[in-house]
Amino acid sequence: MDNHIVEVINVTREVAWLPWAVQYFFLIGLSVGGMLLSLPGYAFARENWRALGRTALLVALTCGLAAPVALLSDLHQPGRFWHFYVVLRPTSWMWWGSIFIPLYVTGLLVYGWVCFREELQAHGRVDSRLAALYRLTSLGGGRNDALIRAAGLFALAGALLVALYTGAEVAVVKARPLWHTPFLPVQFLMTALAGGAGLVLVLNRFAAGNDRAVEVQANRLLAGFLGGVMLIGGLWLALGLFRLDATHAEALGSVAGSEAWRVTAIWAVAATALPFAIAVAKPAGTGLVTGLIALHGAWMFRWTVFIGGQTVPKTGAGFYDYALAAGPEGLLGIVGTAGLWLFLLIALTAILPSPRRPAPGPARAPQAPAGTVAAE
Amino acid sequence: GGFSDTGRKLVKGAWAGDKPDHAISGNAPAPEFRVDPATGDLTPTPGQIVANVACLGCTTLCGVRVRVDVEKNTVLRVAGNPYSPLSTDPFLPYGTPIRESFKSLSRLDEKGLKGRSTACGRGNAALEMLTSPFRVATPMKRVGPRGSGRWEPIAFDRLVEEIAEGGDLFGEGPVPGLRALRDLKTPIDPAAPELGPKVNQVALLSSVNDGREPFVRRFFNQALGTINFVGHGSYCGGAYRSGSGAVFGDAKKMPHAKPDLQNAEFVLFIGTAPSNAGNPFKRQAMLLAKGRTDGVLNYVVVDPVLTNADNRAAAERSDWIPIRPGTDGALVMGMMRWMFENGRIDATYLSQPNGKAAEAAGEAGWCNATHLVIQQAGHPRDGRMLRASDLGWATLDDKERYGAKDAFVVLDPAGTPVAHDSLTGPATLFHGGTLASPAGDVAVKTSLTLLREQAMRLDLGGYADACGIPADVIAGLAREFTSHGKKAAANTHGGMMAGNGFYNAFGVVTLNTLIGNLNWKGGTIFGGGRFPDEQDGPRYKLASFPGQVKPSGTAISRPIPYEKSSEFKAKKEAGKPYPAKAPWYPNAPQLTTEYLTSGVVDGYPYPLKALFLWNSNPVYGIPGVRGQVEAALRDPKALPLIVAIDPFINESTAFADYIIPDTVLYETWGWASPWAGVPTKTSTARWPVVTPRTEPLPDGRHVQMETFLIALAKRLGLPGFGPDAIADMDGKTYPLERPEDWYLRGGANIAWLGKQPVPDITDEDIVLSGVARVLPALQAVLKEEEWRKVAFILARGGRYQNQAEGFEGDRATHRFKDGLLVYNEAVGAARSSVTGKRWTGTAAWTPPAFADGTPMRQIHTAEDWPFQLISSKSVLVSAYTIAASRLRHLHPENPVGINAEDARRLGIATGDRIRIATPGGAELATAIVRHGVMPGVLAVEHGFGHKEFGARAHVIGGHSQPVVPEIGAGVNINDLGLHDPTRPGASVWVDPIAGTAVRQGLPARLERVAAA
Amino acid sequence: APSGASLRREGDPAHRWAMVVDARKCVGCQACTVACIMENDVPENSFRTIVSTYEVTEQGKAGSYMLPRLCNHCEDPPCIPVCPTGATFQRRDGIVVVDNTVCVGCAYCVQACPYDARFINHETQTADKCTFCVHRVEAGLLPACVETCVGGARIFGDLNDPDSAVATLVREENPKVLKPEQGTQPRVFYLGLDPRFQGKVDGTPTLWRPSSKTHARKEHA
Ligand SMILES: Nc1nc2c(c(=O)[nH]1)N[C@H]1C(S)=C(S)[C@@H](COP(=O)(O)OP(=O)(O)OC[C@H]3O[C@@H](n4cnc5c(=O)[nH]c(N)nc54)[C@H](O)[C@@H]3O)O[C@H]1N2
Ligand SMILES: Nc1nc2c(c(=O)[nH]1)N[C@H]1C(S)=C(S)[C@@H](COP(=O)(O)OP(=O)(O)OC[C@H]3O[C@@H](n4cnc5c(=O)[nH]c(N)nc54)[C@H](O)[C@@H]3O)O[C@H]1N2
Ligand code: SF4
Ligand code: SF4
Ligand code: SF4
Ligand code: SF4
Ligand code: SF4
Ligand SMILES: [Mo]
Repeated sequence: MDNHIVEVINVTREVAWLPWAVQYFFLIGLSVGGMLLSLPGYAFARENWRALGRTALLVALTCGLAAPVALLSDLHQPGRFWHFYVVLRPTSWMWWGSIFIPLYVTGLLVYGWVCFREELQAHGRVDSRLAALYRLTSLGGGRNDALIRAAGLFALAGALLVALYTGAEVAVVKARPLWHTPFLPVQFLMTALAGGAGLVLVLNRFAAGNDRAVEVQANRLLAGFLGGVMLIGGLWLALGLFRLDATHAEALGSVAGSEAWRVTAIWAVAATALPFAIAVAKPAGTGLVTGLIALHGAWMFRWTVFIGGQTVPKTGAGFYDYALAAGPEGLLGIVGTAGLWLFLLIALTAILPSPRRPAPGPARAPQAPAGTVAAE
Repeated sequence: GGFSDTGRKLVKGAWAGDKPDHAISGNAPAPEFRVDPATGDLTPTPGQIVANVACLGCTTLCGVRVRVDVEKNTVLRVAGNPYSPLSTDPFLPYGTPIRESFKSLSRLDEKGLKGRSTACGRGNAALEMLTSPFRVATPMKRVGPRGSGRWEPIAFDRLVEEIAEGGDLFGEGPVPGLRALRDLKTPIDPAAPELGPKVNQVALLSSVNDGREPFVRRFFNQALGTINFVGHGSYCGGAYRSGSGAVFGDAKKMPHAKPDLQNAEFVLFIGTAPSNAGNPFKRQAMLLAKGRTDGVLNYVVVDPVLTNADNRAAAERSDWIPIRPGTDGALVMGMMRWMFENGRIDATYLSQPNGKAAEAAGEAGWCNATHLVIQQAGHPRDGRMLRASDLGWATLDDKERYGAKDAFVVLDPAGTPVAHDSLTGPATLFHGGTLASPAGDVAVKTSLTLLREQAMRLDLGGYADACGIPADVIAGLAREFTSHGKKAAANTHGGMMAGNGFYNAFGVVTLNTLIGNLNWKGGTIFGGGRFPDEQDGPRYKLASFPGQVKPSGTAISRPIPYEKSSEFKAKKEAGKPYPAKAPWYPNAPQLTTEYLTSGVVDGYPYPLKALFLWNSNPVYGIPGVRGQVEAALRDPKALPLIVAIDPFINESTAFADYIIPDTVLYETWGWASPWAGVPTKTSTARWPVVTPRTEPLPDGRHVQMETFLIALAKRLGLPGFGPDAIADMDGKTYPLERPEDWYLRGGANIAWLGKQPVPDITDEDIVLSGVARVLPALQAVLKEEEWRKVAFILARGGRYQNQAEGFEGDRATHRFKDGLLVYNEAVGAARSSVTGKRWTGTAAWTPPAFADGTPMRQIHTAEDWPFQLISSKSVLVSAYTIAASRLRHLHPENPVGINAEDARRLGIATGDRIRIATPGGAELATAIVRHGVMPGVLAVEHGFGHKEFGARAHVIGGHSQPVVPEIGAGVNINDLGLHDPTRPGASVWVDPIAGTAVRQGLPARLERVAAA
Repeated sequence: APSGASLRREGDPAHRWAMVVDARKCVGCQACTVACIMENDVPENSFRTIVSTYEVTEQGKAGSYMLPRLCNHCEDPPCIPVCPTGATFQRRDGIVVVDNTVCVGCAYCVQACPYDARFINHETQTADKCTFCVHRVEAGLLPACVETCVGGARIFGDLNDPDSAVATLVREENPKVLKPEQGTQPRVFYLGLDPRFQGKVDGTPTLWRPSSKTHARKEHA
């Protein structure tokens, strides 16, 4: 005999965190990922990581600058963003975020500057109309590994705080079982690293001189990160599937019945396993493919968590339908942030054209003491 | 680009959105008043008034309390009027000062919880109709062909002139004006004088008495003189009322009683869904909720579809039993069979042959169960009640014979025939035999014997097969129904609108007769009725005036015996009296179901020349009518003049030549009353608490129904309107120039009715109740001793008899005194005008059929049309509240309910698009798969599938009204309605006796079109 | 006492406003839903309260079930700690409100409420929810939805007043709350609450979709 419930009258709730939020979490994740990947080459001055580090830095900077704009856009009252800063709300991870983001972005900018100072200085030496400008932006200095390390560590702290808060902000939402797992922050970080490596691979192809060594290096990294993603994903699933842990069982339970969610899950596994396999089997020449898939995977993870997660009613039956709106609250938002990022990338690579291999200027420029303004 | 919104918002700064009034409460207006929880002090809010008026969100016409922003001329919110029994239980004693009434709604001592006074979802949203962008504000005349949706505004005077005088109004040839049509002398057809004078070719289609019907009747019936004034009964719940009329002995007024929900222990709802719909909707809902929770009420709803009448949270008190559409007769006859077989009828009640005997037996009423009926084929009075004069006991002239003075005949306990009114105790209940009469032996049976014969025609298994309810459930229902003495009741309404609705309803009401529950507390009660405003006196003569016309002739729907027509005589002479050209309905009132088909398309019994639509929408509301009449409505030759008086452009008024905007809701005067179901006398006041949004006239009046009819009457020189049109009891005369002239004098009549006149209003009540707004009108129209009393009534939103006066001990105060009919001779002796065959005079089970008696399933077989369509009211909307966006947004569409098993078979899932076809048409719809639908049934919620009201564009004077396609969402089952294939000419399928539209059990088939 | 108690401001701590919903009395008429909209100028296609209406089939037997939903004015409301601006706060009489002049519209509270009781108001661009009609309650009146509840299902009052209807019902009828496992301690209680509706409902979802014109101007003006 049938047992069944039909909702005859009910209303559905719209998603309140819009695709803007997906874009923010995606970009800030990539930025953090890029930032971390840049550390060995710059902050720790490993020369064989430097080329990769440079591309990673581009990732960190472009994404790190675009992300807060997306975040601001996700506020329905963007003009009130300063309200965060006139109160003390330590119970709110979002409030902490409002402290961490400027901290991180500032740190990242300083770090980026000190990293690129060498290049700026080099451009300043070239005879061009902009040379003076370059000289001005380099503040007359060049490479300073100690400074880079200091700035790098500072930015690293910022990045870790951002990673912590973005993960925790979502994971503490008990009302959404899908979000409310201790795994989520780790998953965010892992997919961010994978996405970061992915974007490095893509930029390497298009905006950083298609360096074969970087490609192989990044593909190896990517494989590692994807391995991590799969490991955590598998754990998550196991805990839920075997009901080892109540929150996971609930998280899984909230979507288990859905065909769409099963498709999403299979897709996600494919989007992780496939680039993993390729990267392991053939790290050279596949960077664009693995990079794009990994990027897409990182984005989709966030889309699924945020938009998908919000289509799971908290009380209602079934799932809410989400139709991507055409306007700023939907597609335009996604396109807009992508456009902004592209603009930043073009601007940055215009200012810092990718070095014709090998990097411009002497391999190691004479070091000017930090903070001094070189007399012309 | 993508950041345009963000940018715009950033520029706006601190308020990216609209800045509401208050940081916490947003745009919520200041509360209507404040009540200090400690002291009880009341402080009104300046700029707002709280007024008691009537809601018109549905036909219940509840007394409600509206909160008006005076300056903005808007209604902020609606809640219940605590004096009104339609909104409150217990309702306030009538004398309560307004100040106290406000406190009674507040948190003060939790009074507002105990005496909660409410408006329903619709009632809360209906205020949107006032400011709807779809409202018509100025009179309009069509340009271009009928129904084209193009209009131009027309000056009021010009409008009146054109309608009065006619002429070549549309460049399509001459159109007769009302002056020409008002011919009170020339017969329409000299060969058929019974049809009456030519003025009858003017008809008005109305809906329900919204408190203003007497005014409209005064114009059309009494001043203009046409007989054709018809309400919506035939497509509302007419079948129930006809069936009830058969029991209560009045086929025209169709009295009907309602369960006393406050005291009943068990109620069986067969084809009515209290708290989902039903009348009075809100009062029933309120009492049902209370009864099943705090009270003693248990109930069962028999319905092909599960509705909000059920509530699983009160599962032990409420139950739903699915039934096959149009088979209720089988269920109730089965129950009766069980009751007869198990001695579970109230023999004490049934055997009392008259009121006196009943009283002596401790009964609160009586019936004709013991009265003898002539049952002799070939006898000239076969099927009639045996009368004293038949036995030669009385000699009466032809006029009085078989009338009220000619007693019925019963057998006394010893078996001797006696006059029914001569006994002081019981008579024989069951008998069949012959009696000697001066004209020879005559075979007779008691009414109850005839009923029992009908009940015994099938066994329980047979009835179960017919209706789809298992035999043990039928028996169980009968047992339960007969286990509560008089504190049980059966009731029905819209579910009877099937092709056999009359007999189904006759049966349901007869169940009540069999347990003798009428007039009993907890049984069925007749209701207290109202304080009529439109009668002659006690203050003003509103019912009569010099020069008034008494309409004569035959109404279009032929509510008289065919045998009295010239057609019959002519055909009889020609040797074949039957069939009539189209059915006649002697046992029914006037029927809108025949006006557009017979009256407009076929011109039978005569063609209409002018049609007025007021407050009604038959094209939307009558199943199958659109397909039958749309072409004729578009054709000015078929019907030269259509005039609509309506605030909106609906599916019917869209075909009008002229639309006169009417006031809505709280802009209007009127004296409304509940249909039934309120034990105490109730009259609800409607008075304008906002200025009408229709066009103002130079003298300060506004365009609306009343001002239009007054102007028209004056132009035509009709009696009863204009100067000196109203007389007081001393013969002094007063004008009827403005709406107030009529309604306030009606109010004066109401004030002086009852045991004593109502008190004078206090100055404080005037201020608090908002009546100050209309005080100048009161003082101008009424006499010095009157205006304070009428103001007293207006302040309370009506006149209400106190709740305690509803019952006297165990009995209702307002009782139905006449005997109920187990056998109705007017039915039992009448013949079908189509077949010439006699009808059954008692309740009976008969499957849905067409006019010539052919069962529907014989023509539209179950093989071809495996499904049956039914419709039920939407719990949220009524037909015209589609204009209220807030309701629509809550429930935007009416997915069609289909049983889970059927759906599985056809591969249909919730959300799929389906195509429903009937012999009358096909429509696309959305499916919702439910267990709460009887297998084989497609359940459609009524109120959707609109084609007008904003669903399509109308261009008025070059400006397009807004178009909101969502208003057209969903389906209207009536676009799938059937015509009667056994009738020549235009028709819609109706019950053969009641003439009521068939919207339940339409044969249908179904296919899946697309996935969700 | 919950941790947030000290952060409460405004309102009179002498009261603790609460609602008891008697599901047995609900007739699903949505008078409450519409009254709330009218009283509080709730934007089109948004709802502070709604009466979810279900068809429940058990052992093949179908019946109707109505469940009025609104903000629970939780004693330990998860919507408050997440708010980064303090716009959302609890009054000392227990009513949880949003200060729309402070709210940045970040919707974090919308995510955090386990009952889907909050939404972003597209007209004000700030978080919105049931206020228990605090403006009416302070005027000595009843919330709009309670005042006009046709079935008498919504019962409102002061839990701190032992003689109040809500206090009596809570004391004597052992009402239930929605999602007790969330630890929110709702102050909207239910009589006749079927456990199948206590949390996320397992069934076929409604066909309702937010209108594509959600942000359009009001049709009636
Ligand atoms: N399939 C199906 N058909 C049905 C029903 C069903 O359940 N299913 N229900 C039936 C029932 S019970 C009924 S009663 C009928 C109802 O059918 P009708 O009596 O024809 O009434 P409505 O469709 O309610 O339309 C009434 C018209 O009055 C207008 N109106 C509203 N207020 C005012 C006013 O103040 N003044 C004027 N002049 N006009 C006003 C509205 O705009 C609307 O156009 O429909 C019946 N038809
Ligand atoms: N919500 C709401 N309430 C209203 C109105 C409204 O528009 N909306 N309109 C008012 C008006 S005008 C009226 S007349 C009343 C009508 O009030 P009701 O008579 O209670 O309502 P209906 O929906 O017409 O019909 C009652 C039930 O009959 C069922 N039914 C259909 N076919 C059959 C059948 O063959 N047998 C049985 N047993 N049942 C069947 C339908 O599914 C429906 O649930 O409601 C009034 N109240
Ligand atoms: S039942 Fe009808 S008249 Fe009464 S409040 Fe509701 S809509 Fe208005
Ligand atoms: S939307 Fe407003 S109330 Fe909600 S958390 Fe953000 S700032 Fe606070
Ligand atoms: S129901 Fe939701 S919005 Fe209301 S207080 Fe609880 S958590 Fe906050
Ligand atoms: S208390 Fe007020 S705000 Fe809350 S649901 Fe009821 S009417 Fe709406
Ligand atoms: S007003 Fe009352 S009875 Fe009607 S739906 Fe709301 S809670 Fe239920
Ligand atoms: Mo009706």
